[in-house]
Amino acid sequence: MSVPASSVDRPPLPGDFDALPGLLRYAVVVRPPDVAFHEGRFGCSRLLDIDHASLGEWATVTTVVEIANFVAVVAADPELARQAARRLRLHWTPPPLWDDHLGVGSERSDGRGAVVDRRRTDGMVRRYGWPNRLRWGERAGWVIADVSPARASLWVDTATPEALRGDLAALLSLAPAAIDFSSERSDQEETSLGRLACDDAAADAALVSRQVGAPVAIWLDADYQRDVDALGLAETWEVAASGGHTLDALALGYGAARPAPAMALLLTGVTEPAGAPAGRPARSPYRRANPVREGDESGRASDRVRVFAEESFLDEWSRQQASDPLDLRLRHLDDRRGQALIEAVRQRAAWHPKPTPDPVEGGVGLLTGRGFAYCHLPDAKGEWESGTRSAWIADVSVDPVTGSVQLTRMVVGQDAGEPVDRAALAAALRRQLLPESTLLLRHADGIDEWGELADASPPTLPAIDALTLDAGGHALPARVPDALAPNGTADSPVTMPLRLSAQTLAPGTAAIANALFDATGQRFREPPFTAARIRAGLRESTGGDARGARAASSVGRRRWRWVGAAAASLISLGGAAAVGLPWKAAIDPVPRPAANLYSQATIERGRLVAEAGDCAVCHTASEGGATNVGGRAFETPFGTVYSTNITPDELTGIGRWPYAAFARAMRHGISRDGSHLYPAFPYTAFAKLSDTDLQSLYAYLMAQPAVASPAVDNQMRFPFNIRGLMAGWNLLYHDAKPFTPDPTRSALWNRGAYLAEGAGHCSACHSPRNALGAEKRGDDHFAGALVDGWEAPALSQLSKAPVPWSEAALYDYLRTGRAAHHGVAAGPMAPVVAGLGELPESDVRAIAHYVASFMPSAVDAAQASEIADHRLALSTATPPGFDAGERLYNGACASCHEGGDMPVYSRAETSLALNTNLHSARPDNVIQAILDGVVAPGSSAGSAGEMPGFRTDFSDSQLTALVSYLRARFAPDQPAWEHLSTTIGELRGASSP
Amino acid sequence: MTDSIDLRVNGQVRHLPLDPATPLLQVLRNDLCLNGPKYGCGLGQCGACSVLVEGRVARSCVISLGAVAGRDVVTLEGLGASGRLDPVQTAFIECQAAQCGYCLNGMIMTVRGLLNHCAQPSPDQIVGALKYNLCRCGTHVEILEAATLAAELDAAGVAPGGSE
Repeated sequence: MSVPASSVDRPPLPGDFDALPGLLRYAVVVRPPDVAFHEGRFGCSRLLDIDHASLGEWATVTTVVEIANFVAVVAADPELARQAARRLRLHWTPPPLWDDHLGVGSERSDGRGAVVDRRRTDGMVRRYGWPNRLRWGERAGWVIADVSPARASLWVDTATPEALRGDLAALLSLAPAAIDFSSERSDQEETSLGRLACDDAAADAALVSRQVGAPVAIWLDADYQRDVDALGLAETWEVAASGGHTLDALALGYGAARPAPAMALLLTGVTEPAGAPAGRPARSPYRRANPVREGDESGRASDRVRVFAEESFLDEWSRQQASDPLDLRLRHLDDRRGQALIEAVRQRAAWHPKPTPDPVEGGVGLLTGRGFAYCHLPDAKGEWESGTRSAWIADVSVDPVTGSVQLTRMVVGQDAGEPVDRAALAAALRRQLLPESTLLLRHADGIDEWGELADASPPTLPAIDALTLDAGGHALPARVPDALAPNGTADSPVTMPLRLSAQTLAPGTAAIANALFDATGQRFREPPFTAARIRAGLRESTGGDARGARAASSVGRRRWRWVGAAAASLISLGGAAAVGLPWKAAIDPVPRPAANLYSQATIERGRLVAEAGDCAVCHTASEGGATNVGGRAFETPFGTVYSTNITPDELTGIGRWPYAAFARAMRHGISRDGSHLYPAFPYTAFAKLSDTDLQSLYAYLMAQPAVASPAVDNQMRFPFNIRGLMAGWNLLYHDAKPFTPDPTRSALWNRGAYLAEGAGHCSACHSPRNALGAEKRGDDHFAGALVDGWEAPALSQLSKAPVPWSEAALYDYLRTGRAAHHGVAAGPMAPVVAGLGELPESDVRAIAHYVASFMPSAVDAAQASEIADHRLALSTATPPGFDAGERLYNGACASCHEGGDMPVYSRAETSLALNTNLHSARPDNVIQAILDGVVAPGSSAGSAGEMPGFRTDFSDSQLTALVSYLRARFAPDQPAWEHLSTTIGELRGASSP
Repeated sequence: MTDSIDLRVNGQVRHLPLDPATPLLQVLRNDLCLNGPKYGCGLGQCGACSVLVEGRVARSCVISLGAVAGRDVVTLEGLGASGRLDPVQTAFIECQAAQCGYCLNGMIMTVRGLLNHCAQPSPDQIVGALKYNLCRCGTHVEILEAATLAAELDAAGVAPGGSE
């Protein structure tokens, strides 16, 4: 079999494996369409049949591995395997029905799992969870397995080698000792945080390798996220408390511990899920805590998850009781050493918690918070008194724009029951914290990222402050002499192990979660705390859009589809009711945010949003006037609306608008003082902006120079001058739903749709409006409209372009203001193009792709040239009876607009015969261009595209003659324009400079 | 005002801290004191303001400074020097192809632009090239003679002209 040429392009194989390409096979797994692991039960669609014929001639070069519901396609080349997997047609049963439980977070109905006696708990009950897979992995790469009947060798970067070894032993019926791992990573140590999807990929590769009798490589990348989603939660804990701040009872309820083995085991049904190592009965250090357990799985619960649940809950409880989280714990600890440790950490960190979290205060700068967590776990022999006490204070800063979290400082107190080396503790923390916090906090990419600005850098290492106490709890950390430092000091005490145990790190996750609550006001009850989830949480807390937040938080929770649909419909009812209230409360002004509050990256991103949205086009009164001071008039059928001052001036601008008010105006069209804005301000489109973009825009606008410029009063006719009526309008016509990608379309299309329908607000000009000024949808979307004396041409099937637009031509036009076979961008479109010139090229391509999907079927380059040539030929003959117009044309226009074989630098590149405006049903754009000329979009756009205005050079009758001639000559197949002189008179009067 | 705009004028690089929307003609005449290009109509109609941009004729009154950033601009002053005239200039003197002379800059620059891409133009091509350059004194016959002579001198290699 010959290896296709594409194998040259495959990502390089690790280490020694490159030496055996002749033997190596590549596999691509095909998962069932519906898979879920929920409360220890696994369900998936079942494989009925494999249509081998669908592979066609590819069947001879590929092998299909099928074991129960596990399917993989194997080939000698990765691209071949991928292609074949795409072709292979499989028949699956519908997904199984879950008849009793709806999903995580729902209340249990059967009482079996109601681990906390509700009759005795008049207080608070919370549920915490820990996922089976924290994430798919850290970076894409090969996972390779070589399985023989007696041995298995794997190249895999697993973080949990022991769990993987157990899975593989069961899967391959091998002794655990016969399985060995190698990887590029030097430390093969186990993390206590949880498994990654590389274990699933490793099991996949091992299974396929055994079946085909050759080493097999599998490419691990974000595709494995679907396994992460499907495998759900490994453990859930329910915690309850009653009583006031005396905390009468703290009940630790034990929900479920159902660790999921590697997906291959579940799909093949080879074995029951392998259990985690047996644990010990949970014991809480706090007085009146009653661990309650249910079922026989109790021993499998991990200390780390229990500590996370308990310590998160105590933080929640103390917040609810408005008491200090440290004091609350101290009151309920009997252990003197524990008390001393907490006091020591409190002093070292100078603990002063904020009274209440307030994420909105401070605008969109970094949010900071700190959290505390404590644990006391028995030692290796199970002895409680000599066990490890550990107290953590974590400081975090959260960027509300990106959702990324930085650990800025950790104060870690440790009392291991024997003298511990402080420096070694700090060193061990330093080694382990970074990889672990990366797993917990790492940024995840989304559809709304701005190209190269996306910050994919992992969290950096925080400042670490370690302190230790001796067995008696006497020596406070400040008194630990520096002589105890490790470097060769003769009398150094017991040295720390190189790796810290899971117990030592146990409170870390809770400390971070509590700090995140302090910073954002949002409680994260399941790790990981990814950027996307932080953003979703913040969206909820700013009150901007509960619907978006709910939708986002459900993304990682895919269960059966109908569950999500039901939730969405309930919420949308609530949303409509909220918008329908006519009177909105004013949002109190705040001091203007400091100019240095926002990062340069945020402001730059906001600048791009402003460019995409062309804020300055409408909010700047006149050319050369101060940017964004407002005052530009917009003639509407309902009266004249004036744009407002959006510079950060505190009296006349938006300087004292808190972000919440800004977001409300952008999404709901409600001003800070609660009054309704007119939809001349396209909040109907801006509602589609992602929160990240909106917050960046706020940061950008607030960083601009403040210019005092009082608002001009709108002159609206009755009844449109009653702003409250807009509430009804909004109810009818405004959908504040944020942009949701269409899963049936490509990422490019969706990105284009997000830009065009959101910030770009293309339809605000290019869609006609109904009698009440609302954009028409459906077939009228992009059907063209008249705006401010200019015609925004149709971008739909109704396009009048003499040569149909292609996606490539649209891209050229949007990027440079010109395109082959089309006229240049002019009028209000010129600044739009100038703004688009600031965006990443990929974004402009996306917009072109999206708009092109509405256009008549595109022509290819050859057809376009043919049509253009035909048009040019038609326009060479001078029509009879237009002598006056022809003379004017020859004198004023021909020097630039006529062809000829001599290259002239200042000639108009495109013949008027190809100009859409001359083929339109309306003469407005032609008249506007002659009156006031054409300004090239952007100074760097090139030579042509600029045209002087002839307002003072032509009389109305001359203009009429000239325009009639242009129409007759360059659009001979279109009827003559009627009422030309009237239109000319109106436009000359209306747009006089 | 934005950052300085750089362009090459008559072989010399200029840094111009001017608004990119300023018409090139104004910059040449007012800022660089190059009065070869004339202000005629200001609308690109008459051709009196013609200069060469990248060796191609251009009407400097309708081109903004920003549009020629980084480009090579040659005015009448850059075409030749005293004692070392461009063949087109020599031909116009030879044929006495001027009356009032206001259009002369445009005529000379346009013929230069024509010869730059068409070494042996036909009479029709010469007329076509000069068709939109206005002359109010009626010197058209002499101008066409001069253009024809210029093509001959150019072909004979009298002196290099154009865009150095």
